[in-house]
Amino acid sequence: MSSKRLSLGGGFYVPAVLAVITVIYLISALQLGPPMKEGNMTASFFPILTAVLMLVALVSAMAQDVHRTRSEEKKVPDAEPDDDAELSKTYGGISVGAISVVLLTAGYLLAFDLIGYFVSTFFYVLLLMFQFGSGSAKNWLMRLVATCAITGAGYLLFEVFFQVRLPTLWS
Amino acid sequence: MESLYGLLGGFAALANPETLLYMVGGFLIGTLFGAVPGLTSVLAIALLLPLTYSLDVTTALVACASIFMAGMCSGSITATTINIPGAPASMMTALEGYPMQQRGEGAKALGHAALGSMIGGSVGALLLMVLSPLAADVALLIRTPGKFSLIAFALIVIIISQRGSVTKGMVATLLGVMVATVGIDVVQPLARFTFGSSVLVQGIDMMPLIIGTFAISELLIQADSRSARTVDPSKLQAAKVKRRDFIPPLSEVREIGFLRYLKSAVIGYAVGILPGAGGSMAAFVSYAESMRSSKHPERYGKGNPEGIASAECANNSMCGGAFVPMLTFGIPGDPTTAIVLGVLVINGLQPGPQFMTQQLDLIAPMFASLFVSALILVPLTLYLLGPYFLKIVSIRRDVLYSSIAVVALVGSYVATYSTFQMALALVFGVLAYFLRKQKYPTVCLLLGFVLGPSLEEYCRRALSINDGSPTVFLTSPDSLFFIALTAVFFYFMVIRKPRENPLKAMSD
Repeated sequence: MSSKRLSLGGGFYVPAVLAVITVIYLISALQLGPPMKEGNMTASFFPILTAVLMLVALVSAMAQDVHRTRSEEKKVPDAEPDDDAELSKTYGGISVGAISVVLLTAGYLLAFDLIGYFVSTFFYVLLLMFQFGSGSAKNWLMRLVATCAITGAGYLLFEVFFQVRLPTLWS
Repeated sequence: MESLYGLLGGFAALANPETLLYMVGGFLIGTLFGAVPGLTSVLAIALLLPLTYSLDVTTALVACASIFMAGMCSGSITATTINIPGAPASMMTALEGYPMQQRGEGAKALGHAALGSMIGGSVGALLLMVLSPLAADVALLIRTPGKFSLIAFALIVIIISQRGSVTKGMVATLLGVMVATVGIDVVQPLARFTFGSSVLVQGIDMMPLIIGTFAISELLIQADSRSARTVDPSKLQAAKVKRRDFIPPLSEVREIGFLRYLKSAVIGYAVGILPGAGGSMAAFVSYAESMRSSKHPERYGKGNPEGIASAECANNSMCGGAFVPMLTFGIPGDPTTAIVLGVLVINGLQPGPQFMTQQLDLIAPMFASLFVSALILVPLTLYLLGPYFLKIVSIRRDVLYSSIAVVALVGSYVATYSTFQMALALVFGVLAYFLRKQKYPTVCLLLGFVLGPSLEEYCRRALSINDGSPTVFLTSPDSLFFIALTAVFFYFMVIRKPRENPLKAMSD
C-alpha cells in the first residue's frame, strides 16, 4: 500500500467547500424550529431535507474524486504533473486571469456608486481590454477608442434608450 | 375558434414596427451569439433579461423567441466549415458537415442545415400553437399533490439526464434549491437564512443568479484563454461560403424525404417537452433514430446530408416543445425557458394552466415570432449574412468580453438600482466558475432555483390538506401518474444500460 499522499484537486475541494456551506445552512435550518408540528411540515422541514440530501451527494462526489485520483495514481505512479506551466498560473483552482477579472469587477462595483457610471466604467473596460488582450500594450490607441465606444454605448443603451438612471460623479 | 383568432392576432402584433424591430434585432443577436464559439443564445437572453424591466412584456417575449431560434441554427455554419460548433446543439451537424466540407461539399452541408432548421423550427412552432392549448386543458386536471409530483419528476429527470455525472447534477440542483430558500418562507411569514441581513429578507432575485451563472462565469472562464480572437483567423482563410451554398440540391432533399424531416421535427419537439433535455439531446436522439432507420447507416459519420437534416430539424423543433411545460405548468425544462419565465415573473405574470387562455394576447406574438423566425428569418439571414459569418465569428476577445461585462453588470443594477444585485451577480459568477471548472451542470443550478420554491409549496399544501399524511401522493391519481412516470424514466435512464452511443461507436 502506498504511503504517498493523494494529490487531490478541485474535484475534491469544490464539494468540500460546498459541504461546509451546507453544514452552516443546516445549522441555520435547525434553528428555525422542529421540522414537523402537529403533523404538518414547518418552515424548517424542506431546508433540513435539502441539506441532508446535499451532504449525501457531496460526500458521494468527494468519494468519487478520491477513488478516481487513486486509480489515476495507480495507473501512472511516478507521473509528474504534465502541465506545470498551467498549474503555476492558478491559485486555489482559480487562474490568474480569472482572479484579475474578479478583482477588477469587485473594484468596479465599489467605484460604481462612488464615482459614477462614466469614470468607473471607462477604467473598468480599459483594464478588462488589457486583461482579455493578453495584457499586451500593443494597439493601445485602438483599445482606448474601443473603451470610449463601449462606455458611450452602455450609456446610450441604459440611460437614453431604456431610461435607467445611472449614478453620476456629482449625484 | 377563439384561440385560433388569438393566435392569428399574434401574427398581426408582429406588424407593429417596434415589435418587428425587436424580433429581427433579437434574431441577429441570437445568430451572432449562436455562431461565435464560447457564446450561446442563453447568454444573449440572459443579457436581455435586465432590459425587460424597461420593455413591454410582449416585445421582450418576441425578442426572446427569435434569439432562441437563431441560436439553434447559427451554430451549424462554423460546425460545418471549421469543425467548431458555435453551440452544443450543432455537434451532430459538425460530425457530418465537416467531412462534407473536407471533400468539397461544404456548400451542400450548409444548405441542408439551413433547410432542416427552417422546416424543424416551423413545425415545432406550429405544434406549439396547436398542442399547447390541449396541454393547458390537461394541466387543469392536475391538483396540488400532482403538481408536487410533477415538479419532483422534472427535477429528477433533469438530474438523471446529466450524462456523465448524476451526482454532480444532484449537487447543482440542490444548491439551486438551497439558494431559493433564502428569504420569506413560501407558506408562512417567516424569514429564513437571512443571517441578520435585511436585504436578504426579500429573497434572492433570479436576475443576479442568471447574470452570474451565465455571463460572469463565462468572463472568468474566458479570462483563462490567451488567444486574441474568438476563432483563429488562419482557420477561416480556407473556408469560403457563398450565398448559393445555402440552397440544397432538390434531388438530395427528395432522397432525405419529407417523412424524415417530419419525424425529426416531432422527435425534437417531444424531446423539448422533457425537462433538462435541450437542443443537443434533441439533435442526438433524432440523429440516432435517423441512422437506425436509414437505408445506408454506414454512410453516417462520413458526411451524410441525412444526418445534418435530422439533427438540425430536431434542434430547431425543440424550441417549440421547450415552451410547453413552462407555459402550461410554469415548469421550465431548460435555461432559455427558465429565463423567459423570469421575464414573465418580472412583469407580474405567473404561467399555469389558465395562462394560455387568460394571457393569449401576450403569448401569441411570441409563438408567431418563433414561427416567423424559423420560416422566414432563418433562410433570409443565412442567405444574406451567411457569406460574412466567417468574418463575424472571429471577434477581438478584448472588445467582446469587455462589452459583455458592462451589459451584464450594469444590467444587474437595473432591477433595484443598487450595487447589491451586482455584487450578488459577481458572487454567483465565481461560484458558477468553480462549478463549471469541475463540470457541474450550472443549468441544474438555475432549474433547482426556479423549481425549488414550487416544490416546497405544493408539498406542504398537499400535506396540510391531508392532515400531514404523505399517502396523499399515492392515492391521488395525478400524483401517482407522475410517480410512475418518474420510475419509468429512472429505469430507462439509470438502471437499464443506455444503448451504446453511436458517436462512440463511430469514433471506435
